[in-house]
Amino acid sequence: MKRIATLAFGMFAITTAFGSQATAGPVLDEIKASGNIICLVNTNSPGFSSPDSKGVFQGFNTDFGRMAAAAIFGDASKADIRGIGFSDSMKTIVARKAHMASRSITSTGTRDADPGLVFPVTTFYDGQGFMVANKLNVKSASELSGAVVCAEEGSTTLLNIADWFGNRKMDYKVENIGDKTARLQAFYAGKCDVLASDFTALLSDRQLASNPADYTILPEIISNEPLTLACQPDQELEAILFWGFQVMLTAEQYGVTSQNIDAIIKDIDKQPKAVRRLFGEKGATSDMAEKLQIPANWAYNIIKQVGNYGEVYERHLGESTVFKLVRKGTPNDLSSRGGLMYAYPIR
Amino acid sequence: MIHRSNNHIGTPPEAEFCVFGWMRKNLFRNTFDSIVTISVVLFLVWIVPAVFSWMFLDAVGFSGDEALCRSSDGACWPFMREKARLILFGTYPYDQQWRAALASVLVIGLVATLIFKRMRVKWMVLLWAVGAAVFVGLMFGNVMGLPAVQTVKWNGLPVFLLLSVFSLAAAFPLGILLALARHQNNYQLLKNLAAGYIELIRGVPLLMVLFMGLFVLPMVMPRGFFLEPLFAILIALMLFHAAYFAEDIRGGLQTLESGQVEAADSLGLSYWPKVLLIVLPQAIKQSLPAIFNTLIGGYKDTSLVIIVGIHDIISTAKMAYSDPDWQRYGLEAYFFVGIWYFCSCWCLSAYGRHLEKKQDN
Repeated sequence: MKRIATLAFGMFAITTAFGSQATAGPVLDEIKASGNIICLVNTNSPGFSSPDSKGVFQGFNTDFGRMAAAAIFGDASKADIRGIGFSDSMKTIVARKAHMASRSITSTGTRDADPGLVFPVTTFYDGQGFMVANKLNVKSASELSGAVVCAEEGSTTLLNIADWFGNRKMDYKVENIGDKTARLQAFYAGKCDVLASDFTALLSDRQLASNPADYTILPEIISNEPLTLACQPDQELEAILFWGFQVMLTAEQYGVTSQNIDAIIKDIDKQPKAVRRLFGEKGATSDMAEKLQIPANWAYNIIKQVGNYGEVYERHLGESTVFKLVRKGTPNDLSSRGGLMYAYPIR
Repeated sequence: MIHRSNNHIGTPPEAEFCVFGWMRKNLFRNTFDSIVTISVVLFLVWIVPAVFSWMFLDAVGFSGDEALCRSSDGACWPFMREKARLILFGTYPYDQQWRAALASVLVIGLVATLIFKRMRVKWMVLLWAVGAAVFVGLMFGNVMGLPAVQTVKWNGLPVFLLLSVFSLAAAFPLGILLALARHQNNYQLLKNLAAGYIELIRGVPLLMVLFMGLFVLPMVMPRGFFLEPLFAILIALMLFHAAYFAEDIRGGLQTLESGQVEAADSLGLSYWPKVLLIVLPQAIKQSLPAIFNTLIGGYKDTSLVIIVGIHDIISTAKMAYSDPDWQRYGLEAYFFVGIWYFCSCWCLSAYGRHLEKKQDN
């Protein structure tokens, strides 16, 4: 009853307040009316989304929900970050019970073809990798012929392994252990030579060894898993998510961080044109803000309250964390440094 | 007069008198007994020092930090200090967690009144109804100036107690009604309906009943009435446990001598007084072990609600050790949860034994 009343009031408020202007998308209207954006994340994904000791979700994925809230409301804390409930986040979004999901969902063709769900932007390029013990003295996955691989029967992991080893005509044996904890124990006990899983999962699994330094993650990534945001279909919402992310990439490209952005704004006339377009008074971003009906300084809010992409990455997955995930040389680096993070021009 | 000069009359044989005598009588009476004793002792010698050193000797004390834990083999008690609130209350807003704590204590108090205080059924039902309303009011807020907290943020102990205690408490009367309906012969349709319901519920897994509850129940609600998923699950659990209680009680009803019912009829008691005064007390006494079995089993099965996205204490325990800095301490998290389960199930079981002993007078 309350929800219907809120929705009705929201619709009423919008039709009276914005009646004559360009109609924002219905989902964005609903978000603005309810005062926060519902973002679904995984409840126990170390580094990507897990609650801290106070019960507040922290992680790489949660920061993108906060980015959306900072853009739409000017306040990153208006993101209602929820651990996923029943039926994965995709079905919840299709059922219109949540607005977006930042959940390490791999964007695949079949998922994208479903109506009711859109994947606006990829936030992390992951893939499948291998972990071996240092004492095997294996430096590359091409030396793994004849290895015993720990993986889960029926998962795409095994299919990828079959493809990869088959293409190189290498032998391998599979140690099929369904439960993740049992698999890790088998690997650390030496029962199998290689552990195969998503690269980021391997990183967090390595921390569970009694001595993580004894294990290496091989450099080869044998499958593509682009981890994307997902949201309800709504042109304005998708634009906000996509361009919000581009703002974060562009800011990193030009060295704008949450720490120095205030100083940069004071000195805005001396900055490169691209930075002026992002944060200046009459830049491209304020033009977009008018069309999307979000606060004019949305780009500033994103960078100030959440940070640029590099900051978010370092905060949750970087050198200062237990993961020590090196960004250089991986697809997650900026395109100017050889990675796949390509900042679209904002003009 | 026969006079025995045996001065051992009145004292037990020496072999049973002192410690060794006791051991010989109770632990080493015959070969099989001796083998069992030796095996158990060996097992204890193997396990108890290991557990003791894990829990106390090698463990890092409460005031330690993660770095200390990493270098030690024993339990990491700083993990508990750090994460106890997360495991108990999950993602409930931090500054409002006193409400969740109070609500949990309230439910435990309600159960305690059931166990320790004798009161008329009417007052007990009223007390529980008021208790349930206070629980929901406390947790949900939006009354008396308390900020609202949606049900998706209810995690951990309060939600677990809500789902287990209230579903089992409500299922018991429903189970009694079903058992009575199935046991009588006067109204065949009612009997078949009850039997059909019981067999249907017993024939499907609990998970399926939960899914059904989540999808089907909101559809049968009147228009405009929004049923929170949490309460849909509560109702589904109640319907599930009712079927199992019904069968337990029906077992007790079957042990009742027909003479009891006939005597009640001859006294002029109509149906409900007969059932409440004569039939049920005897039937329930007979089915106490079965009832407590269902109770304890149902209490623990509540954890399955994680599949429908409700995060009870086992799920929040998993959340606790998915913090990147504390990933290695899953055992401590589950140990904490295990202690809770063990203590509460032990208390329930002890109460069951007490009730059985009380009846045997």
